[in-house]
Amino acid sequence: MTGKKVSIEEQGHLSGYEPPDQSDWVTGLHPMDNLLRGERLPHIWCQGCGLGTALTTFISALQWLEKNKNWDLEKVAIVSGIGCSGRIAGYIRLDSFHTTHGRAIPFATGLKLANSELKVVVFSGDGDIAGIGGNHFIHAARRNLDITVICVNNFNYGMTGGQVGSTTPHGARAVTSQYGNFEFPFNLPYLAAAGGASFMARWTVLHARRLEWTLREAMEHRGFSFVEIIAPCSTAYARWNPDGKGLDPQGLRRRGLEVMKHYQTVGKISPETHPKDADVKVDENGVITEIVEGKFIHDPKPDLQKAINEMAPAAEKRWLAIRQGMQKRPLLKARTDQVPRTELQLGGFGGQGIISAGKIIGQAAAIYDKLEACFTQSYGPEARGGAAGSQVVLSSDPIHYPNITEPGSAVIMSQGAYEKYAPLLIVGGILLIDEGLVKLPDTHRDDITTHGIQATKVAEDMGNVRAANTVMLGFWTAAVGAVTREAMQYSLTESVPPKTVEINMKAFEYGYNAGLNLT
Amino acid sequence: MTEHKGLLPGDHFLLGDYAAAEGAILVGCRFFAGYPITPATEIAERMSTRMPQVDGIYIQMEDEIASMNAILGASWSGIKSMTATSGPGFSLMMENLGLGIMLETPCVLVNVQRGGPSTGLPTLVGQQDMMQAKWGSHGDYEIIALSPGSPQEFFDLTIRAFNLAEKYRTPVLIMADAEVGHMTEKVVIPDPDDIEILNRPLVRKGDIEPDLFRIYRDMTQCKGDACVSPMALAGEGFRFHVTGLTHDERGYPDMSAEGNAWNVERIMNKIRDNLEDIIMIEEINLEDAEVVVVSYGISARTSLWPIELARKEGIRVGLLRLITVWPFPEDRIRKLAGSIEAFVVPEINMGQIVKEVERCAAGSARILGVHRPGGEVLDPVTVLDTIRRAAGRPTKDHN
Repeated sequence: MTGKKVSIEEQGHLSGYEPPDQSDWVTGLHPMDNLLRGERLPHIWCQGCGLGTALTTFISALQWLEKNKNWDLEKVAIVSGIGCSGRIAGYIRLDSFHTTHGRAIPFATGLKLANSELKVVVFSGDGDIAGIGGNHFIHAARRNLDITVICVNNFNYGMTGGQVGSTTPHGARAVTSQYGNFEFPFNLPYLAAAGGASFMARWTVLHARRLEWTLREAMEHRGFSFVEIIAPCSTAYARWNPDGKGLDPQGLRRRGLEVMKHYQTVGKISPETHPKDADVKVDENGVITEIVEGKFIHDPKPDLQKAINEMAPAAEKRWLAIRQGMQKRPLLKARTDQVPRTELQLGGFGGQGIISAGKIIGQAAAIYDKLEACFTQSYGPEARGGAAGSQVVLSSDPIHYPNITEPGSAVIMSQGAYEKYAPLLIVGGILLIDEGLVKLPDTHRDDITTHGIQATKVAEDMGNVRAANTVMLGFWTAAVGAVTREAMQYSLTESVPPKTVEINMKAFEYGYNAGLNLT
Repeated sequence: MTEHKGLLPGDHFLLGDYAAAEGAILVGCRFFAGYPITPATEIAERMSTRMPQVDGIYIQMEDEIASMNAILGASWSGIKSMTATSGPGFSLMMENLGLGIMLETPCVLVNVQRGGPSTGLPTLVGQQDMMQAKWGSHGDYEIIALSPGSPQEFFDLTIRAFNLAEKYRTPVLIMADAEVGHMTEKVVIPDPDDIEILNRPLVRKGDIEPDLFRIYRDMTQCKGDACVSPMALAGEGFRFHVTGLTHDERGYPDMSAEGNAWNVERIMNKIRDNLEDIIMIEEINLEDAEVVVVSYGISARTSLWPIELARKEGIRVGLLRLITVWPFPEDRIRKLAGSIEAFVVPEINMGQIVKEVERCAAGSARILGVHRPGGEVLDPVTVLDTIRRAAGRPTKDHN
C-alpha cells in the first residue's frame, strides 16, 4: 500500500467501474478499508481461492449502492454459516454474524423480520446453503423473504479438506470420492426457481464485473434474491480434478488461475437459459464442460413482509372484539358457600361439544363463581369423530390434583362414553344421560342415581342440534348444584357464537328446569 | 391506549399453553418462531393470532432448528423472542441453543414435555428432558430453567424467564409439561404497568465511539449494575461481529486455550455469580420437617395432596418446590440434608433430578425417588407410601 495518488480518470477504461471513495485514494488507504476489518487480516483463504474475489466484488457493490442509491451501510447486516465462506462475515466491517453450519438463513430470517429496515445478506458456501442448510434455503425462497443469499459454490467442502458435497459434479473426484462422485449434484438455479426465489443469477468469479452488477441488483431487489458464485478451490477441489492436473502442487495461485482459465473456456453467458437447463455440465470424468451464467429469474412478486403487514387490520378487529367482550363482562358477587372438591366427567363423541361443555362449566366456576376450577380433556387420535371426553374439577380450595379420581357426576352423550365412564362413578354418584343416545343395559349400576333427558331431540326441535350439549349443561347445573345458574348463563353467552346465544339460552333453561324437577 | 395495543388484562379461563403465550406478550415478546408439535402447538396457535394484534411477528419455520435460529436473529434486532416445542423438537434446538449461549443472546425456549424417548407419547405427560435441559447442547455452559405447575404459574414464569434472559443475556428454558400445557384454569393477566419488566442493557448510538465498543467487554467494566455487557443491535452503527467460535471481547475468533477459558468462564460465571437472584424455590412446612419432598412442575403440585395426607398421619413432611430447576439450589439441599432424615423426589422420569439431590445430600440424608416414565402424573398413593417409608412408618394404613 503506497500513499501515491492514483488518477481516477486513468481507470475509466474499466467498463462500469466506479471508484468507491476518492478520499481513501488520497489518504493512501485501500479503497475497501472502510468495509474490511483490517485487524483480522490476512484472511485464512488459500492463494488462488475464489472467495477473495467474491468478497471484493460484494464490497464494490455495497460501495456503489452507498454512493449511487444512498444506501446507509450501517443498516446492512451480514450472516454467514460455517466453512471457508463462513469467514466472510468476520472480514466485513459491518454488523456481522458468524452462525452455525447451515443455519445462516433462518438466523437471517429472524434478524430481518424483527427489523424490516435492515438489509440482510447471507453470505455462505454450497455446503451451508445447499447441503446441511438446503431445507432452510428452499423455505426462505418459498416465503419470498426479503434477503439476499450469496452462495459461493466451489463444488466441495474445502475447509475440512475437500470432501464431496451436494454440488460436486457427477464423476468428479474429491477426498471422499476417489473413484469419482457416484451421486448427482443439485442444480442450484433450478432449486431456487422451484423454491420460488424471485431473483436468481449465477456468475463465476472470473466474471467479476458482471457479478458486481448482479450483486447490486440482487441487493436492491425486494424479495428473496439468490446469487450463485462459482469459485475455484485451489487447494482441495482443483487438486483432484483435471482442471488443475499436472500443476505444481505447491503453486496454489497458479492452480487457481488455471481453474479461472478453464471458466473462461466453459463459461457461457446465457440469461435466457431455463433454470432447469442451468446445471453445470460435465464429461464422463467429471470435468466441467459448460457453466451457463446470467440472471435467470427476476420476478417482482410481493415479499413476505408485505403479506405480514396486510394481516394487521383483521388482527386488530379480532382483538377489539375480544377486548370489548371482556369489558362488558358482568361481575358476580363472590360465593360465600363452601364448595367441596367436585369432579365431573363428560363423555360423548366428537362434534357434540363435549369439550366446550366442560370448558363452559370450568369458566363459569372460575371466572363468575370465583371458585377454583381445573378443566382437562382427552387428547389423542380418538378425539376426531370417535370418543370425546373432558373432565372438570371444582372446589373452593386449591386443586392440587388436576385429574379426576372419584367423579361424583357424569354427563354422558353416547353409548361408548356410557360404557367407558359409568363404571368410574363413585357410589351414590349422579349419571346424566341423553336418553335418545344412551340405552341403559340390564346390568346398569343400581348404586348410582341415573337421570335421562332427550337433549339431542329437544335441541333439534328448537332448531339447532348443536345445542344438545347446552341442554345437558342446564340439566347438570340444576341436578348437581356446584355452579350457579347465573355463572353458567354468563359463561355460555361468552362462549357460543353470538348468533346462537338465544337458542343456547333457551336450551339451557329447558335442561335447567328439567333438572330442578327431578325427584 | 396505543401503548397497550393488543393486550388483554383481566381474568381468563385459559389453557396452560395459551397462558405462556400471554405471559410472553405481556412482558414484551414480539417475535415467535416455531414448528407444530404436540403438546406445545397451542402456544404457536395463540401466538399466530396474537402477534399480529400486538404488531409482532409470528412465523412458522421449516423445523425446530430454524425456529431456534430465527429467535436468535430476532433478538439481535432488539426484539424479545420466543419459541416453544416438545421433546423431539427440543433435541433439534440443542445445536443453536448453544449458539444462543455463546453469542449471549436473550431469548426464551419453552419445552412442554411429553413422554419420550424419540416420538414417545406425543399427547401425554413426561418430565424426561430435565437433564437434557442441563446438558443437551455440547460444551460447557450454565443454563437457567424454570418449571411451572399451573397455567397461572406458566404465565408468571414466562414473564420471569424473559426478565432473566434479558438481565443475563442468555437463553432461558421453561420446562413445562403436557399436563400443565393442556390444563385450563383461571389466569389473571395484570396490567403491564403492574409487573416488573426488565430489558437488556443496550448501547445506543452516541453512548460510545463505535471503534471503542467491545461487544463482550468484561462485565466488571460495565457502567451501572448490569451484570453482563451491554448489547449492540444490528443496524445501530457499531459494526460489531459475533461468532459461535471461541471469541475475545471484540467478538473475534480466539483459537487458544486461554481464549476458551476466558469465554467459557464468562458465560458460566454470569450465572454462577448470581445464584441468589436467579434461583427461586418455594418452601412449605420445612421448619419442623423430618422428610422433605423435592419436586418441580406438575409433580410438585400433585405431591401437595399426599403431603397433606401424610401430615394428617403425623409425619413431619415438607415440600421444597424447585421453581428454578437449573441452576440447581445446591446450597439449600446441602444445608437441609444435615438436619432431616430423608428426601423424597417424585418426578415423571426414571430418575433425573433425584441424582442432583443425591449429589448435594452427599450421604447426609436418605434419598427415596418416586419415578415412572411418561404417560400420567404420579399416583398420589405411591408418593404417600414413599413419604411414609422415608419417615420410617408402615406403608399400609392399619386403621
